[in-house]
Amino acid sequence: MQPQLKSKVRCTDREVGEVTKVIMDPLSFEVSHLVVSMNGAGERQVSMGSVQTVADDLVQLRSSSSEIMALPPFKRDDYVTLHEIEVPGLEKHVHVTPGEVLVPLPELERNVKRRKFFANLTYVMGLFIGLPLVYPVLKYLMKPMYAPFDNGWLKIGNVGKVKAEDTGTQFKFIHKVKEAYLPEAEIEKNVWVVKATPAVLEKVYQGKDLEFRDATGKTIWTNKKDMPYIAFSGKCPHLGCGYKWRKHKVLGPVFLCPCHVSIYDASGRVLEGPAPRPLDALPIQVSASGEVQIIDMEFKAGTKVQSRMV
Amino acid sequence: MSHTPSAGTQPTVVEKVFDFVDERVGLKLLAAKMLNESVPGGSRWAYVFGSILLFIFIMQAVTGVLLMFYYVPTADHAYASTQYILHDVDYGWFLLSYHFWGSTAMVVCVFAHMSQVFLWGAYKKPRELIWLVGLLLFALVMGFGFTGYLLPWDQRAYWATTVGVEIMDKTPLIGDFLARLLKGGATPGQMTLSRFFVIHVMVLPAALIAFAGLHLFLFRCAGPGGPFRGTPVELKAKTDYFFPRQIWKDVVGMAVVFACICALAFWEPVVLLDEATPDPGDYHPEPEWYFLFLFQHLRLKMFSGEFGQFLGAIAFPSLLGALLVALPFIDRDSERNIFKRPIALTLWVMFMVSILIFTVSAIINREFLD
Repeated sequence: MQPQLKSKVRCTDREVGEVTKVIMDPLSFEVSHLVVSMNGAGERQVSMGSVQTVADDLVQLRSSSSEIMALPPFKRDDYVTLHEIEVPGLEKHVHVTPGEVLVPLPELERNVKRRKFFANLTYVMGLFIGLPLVYPVLKYLMKPMYAPFDNGWLKIGNVGKVKAEDTGTQFKFIHKVKEAYLPEAEIEKNVWVVKATPAVLEKVYQGKDLEFRDATGKTIWTNKKDMPYIAFSGKCPHLGCGYKWRKHKVLGPVFLCPCHVSIYDASGRVLEGPAPRPLDALPIQVSASGEVQIIDMEFKAGTKVQSRMV
Repeated sequence: MSHTPSAGTQPTVVEKVFDFVDERVGLKLLAAKMLNESVPGGSRWAYVFGSILLFIFIMQAVTGVLLMFYYVPTADHAYASTQYILHDVDYGWFLLSYHFWGSTAMVVCVFAHMSQVFLWGAYKKPRELIWLVGLLLFALVMGFGFTGYLLPWDQRAYWATTVGVEIMDKTPLIGDFLARLLKGGATPGQMTLSRFFVIHVMVLPAALIAFAGLHLFLFRCAGPGGPFRGTPVELKAKTDYFFPRQIWKDVVGMAVVFACICALAFWEPVVLLDEATPDPGDYHPEPEWYFLFLFQHLRLKMFSGEFGQFLGAIAFPSLLGALLVALPFIDRDSERNIFKRPIALTLWVMFMVSILIFTVSAIINREFLD
């Protein structure tokens, strides 16, 4: 049987202490040494060769207590516990309960000063592989993220469709989009056109022409402050839903967004609800025959300041 | 070995987080178990291939996922989206070429890994199961190569698949069913592309992850074989742990493989042929180079005619596979030294030489076809 932990250890002359640890040989899977606590005088590592008999709670040694005391103190750092290593099959041969079963560290693993150094070198190699990929992968993923703006004029219909002043009229139009490798696709979008009375016009333009600039700051188009037709982007400036022209019980006819109930008047001003800014007016021109053209723009939703996305 | 902070210093935030997790899941013991695996006879450069394969697979998964950001598996857009990746998306050419050369590196390293296990006699008792699961992983890797090849939907892709599926069709009894199952019909088309895509990006990766996990588990159960020379006492004297020396060698190996794949991607980036069509035009269909030896041996006279075709396309490769499966059960001698296993050594040399001959002759044959 294998010596049990906490067994008393008796030498030829007297009892010297108890078994505190057991050391297994990873090759033979046998117990090779006992570690004996010398009743407070340090621990000694005793070879199984010195063991005469093993009983349930007693280990009888062949040596005398002075011989055991003369052994060098036990060096714990030269061992690892069975839990910390992987020796296939070894655990099946352990019949020592309960406590620390040790296995000697291989010669090559003792006093390895460079453990930390090796670990760091491993990280460095990982960085060597990972870092060069960061920039290319980011650029790769970013390709479609910042497409240039399309400032082309789109025909959206005739003003004859607008029946009354200061009233929202929806104009549907087709925006042709060429996305990546796909053939050109036709996307159906809409804007709301208002034929504004001078009072409403004043609320929209506040006495100033409205200039539209491209990314470089160059002016693309100016909406004259006295041109009565206004086109609002069909996207609610709150969180991008599509709003409608509706009759409100208290406020009368208004632009109303069904998502979070932002309410705007005919000039696009926020009357109620969470919207952070008025509706977005788009570049608009009306020909002599009444044909309406716009530049389709989309602005970031949820911000106080207008910032163009499309 | 322990992470206990030295006396007198406050634990850092990282140490606190580590200790928090450790208290709950026993991270330190787990890490110790993982890293303190005895390597009999000590760490060696020869042992790096398994780790390298794991690394290549992870990189294939990363680049593959990135490619899927733009690629669409439809017959009308697969080619255009691949060209878009190659020509329009920043560094798309690099990621696609890395994925392509990574697959080649995978096959090369699988051959190296298997050869090493064969020559070291590491498939013998008690490691038979590791060998069997390893063979399955080998089949999965070849499956990755075969299914991935179709995805760009160019002429090379289309024809390699056409021929490959025709070969499968020659399996007795179930061949026709298998070929139709894979093609999703009678001829290659959208259904084939969808099926190959799903197999390539879902089925095979899931299977590979599962079986690679099993492979590692079995490996940990049996332990590394160690060198085939030396007494147990000599081996014990040279034994060290997986960390740090073997991990260090593995990581250097990975870095070298990474650099090689990058270099190949730079010097030989992927170039597509024309979009796939059932008219080959001037194109001479040919599979990827690691299938060339299989392709070439079907040109031999002895494999002509319906029966010959069955022999060459089905019977011969199946026999080879069956032999590999049976290997640990046929070869039960515990001797692992390859220089004392003349039959094994001869077979390995013959196999490698014939692969070399067939591959080279397939390359030489190209000139006669032009």
